[in-house]
Amino acid sequence: MTQTTAIGLTQDAFETFLASRLEPRWLTDLRRSSWKAFQELPLPHDASPSPKQEEWRRTDIRRFRFDKFPLPSHTAHASSSNGQPTAVGPLLAAGLDLAGSAYALDSRPCKARLDPALAARGVLFGSLDDLVQSHGPAIEPYLFTRAIDPLYDKFSALHAACWSGGMILFVPKGVVIDQPLHMFSAMSPGQSDFGHALIVLEEGAEATVLAETASSDHAAAGLHCGAVEILVGPGARLRYVNLQNWGSGVWHFAHQKALVGRDAKLQWTIGALGSRLAKVNQHVALVGEGAHAQVNGVMFTDGTQHLSYHTLQHHEMPNCTSNLLYKGALQGDSRIVWRGMIKVDRDAQKTDGYQRDDNLILSESARADSIPGLEIEADDVKCSHGATAGRVDDEQVFYAQARGLTRKEAIRMIVSGFFQQVFDRIAVESVRDALGDAIGRRVREYD
Amino acid sequence: MTDVDFERVCGVGDLPDPGKQVFELGERYVVVFHVAGSFYAIDDVCTHDGGPLGEGFLEGFTIACPRHGAKFDIRDGRVLCMPAVCGTPSHEVKVENGEVFVKIIERPKKKYVWG
Repeated sequence: MTQTTAIGLTQDAFETFLASRLEPRWLTDLRRSSWKAFQELPLPHDASPSPKQEEWRRTDIRRFRFDKFPLPSHTAHASSSNGQPTAVGPLLAAGLDLAGSAYALDSRPCKARLDPALAARGVLFGSLDDLVQSHGPAIEPYLFTRAIDPLYDKFSALHAACWSGGMILFVPKGVVIDQPLHMFSAMSPGQSDFGHALIVLEEGAEATVLAETASSDHAAAGLHCGAVEILVGPGARLRYVNLQNWGSGVWHFAHQKALVGRDAKLQWTIGALGSRLAKVNQHVALVGEGAHAQVNGVMFTDGTQHLSYHTLQHHEMPNCTSNLLYKGALQGDSRIVWRGMIKVDRDAQKTDGYQRDDNLILSESARADSIPGLEIEADDVKCSHGATAGRVDDEQVFYAQARGLTRKEAIRMIVSGFFQQVFDRIAVESVRDALGDAIGRRVREYD
Repeated sequence: MTDVDFERVCGVGDLPDPGKQVFELGERYVVVFHVAGSFYAIDDVCTHDGGPLGEGFLEGFTIACPRHGAKFDIRDGRVLCMPAVCGTPSHEVKVENGEVFVKIIERPKKKYVWG
């Protein structure tokens, strides 16, 4: 049997939530201290001006109410007849031979599966809620210790206090997983998702993770307050795809951070298609010499959607490279805000950092704000950035129409071509196809 | 247009003259002004940077955004001064029996032109 607590993130709801979980002491203590911080920290529009408040400058959440959403109560796993949490199927895993899959519904874990051969080699994959009880000492060193700071702001504190329906991948030293692993979180109308993804690759390990979210009702309200923690060990290789495809009534707040070790490689691709309002901090820290991170972003907005992404490429060690490419297309009255920073520490000589954000404005009243930035303390580095915003070229539309395409087909083709530069970077064919199809379906005809 | 669309925001005496206050109406925040004996309402959004006009400096019929100083005419939302380049939506206001009512007017967003 499953249930949710009374609506509202109240002290009573939190105590009920905590009592239902039977977790190790260290985790309960972490939740309690984070809950205290959540109660004490101000909402962005109530906080005193500070550099951190700059993140919220273009994102108005005065209409967001904590008291409209429930905390999950973890009395049992969410039920599902077919292993998937809702009638809404995932997009990314179609036709793939998966090494494992894990699902969650309304922040409660559903059934998870992992190739037994990988489990025998020490790979951990599945529900973080379950595995933190059976493998607590192995997980404790990574959970909210090195990547995500629970005290960063009110939402990170709330997440650390109430995360539930989390998922974990732990790949031991030297283990290479050839097939992708799939994580899928779904949400019912009016519910909350406090999912936490923890991905740890030890030295020399390799894996591909496809993570995605979806709502069972395209327009219903909901809350996602989540986090992603990624630790890529020395010489390890991780390809991580994260598709946010919530319904248009969902508030999406997320902190996502990856630490990339010596000579390790991370390819991190985000797709942002859904939500009513999204505020995401996506940080990559290059913490080992020779580390490399490639960050790709695909965004498509419509209606009154507001997506606000804040990226940080933090070069902490020498000889690291980072390359960020975000591309967004906007329809209706939607808005995308991107603030990107390349930060180079004093010791991070021979850094090569790049960031670029391109936006295609498909309607008269959509708006894109691109704010790249550099903060460099070393004196022997190569860092650059660029940003563009523009409309579809009418001459290109005319050219395509002159060859028999309708205006809508022409625009769809041009939008697809706009994203192709990012798609070309994605090695997993099903992901390329899924993102391309999802965007193609959303393109409307406009004047 | 029906009276049903008007929503009460405050009493006439609740807002000094000159004065302003922000109200939540439906899906938006609106600043209601009381200037020279009349009431006006515009969106609480500067079209330049999304700044909160309700926290701005009111002088005559002009409100200045507290962030970068863009100015708007409170009577019709017209933009008067850079760095904003398009107006902010204005809404209908009526006063009846000592109460102030606002009706949200949904208009297509203006193109980025002066006026």
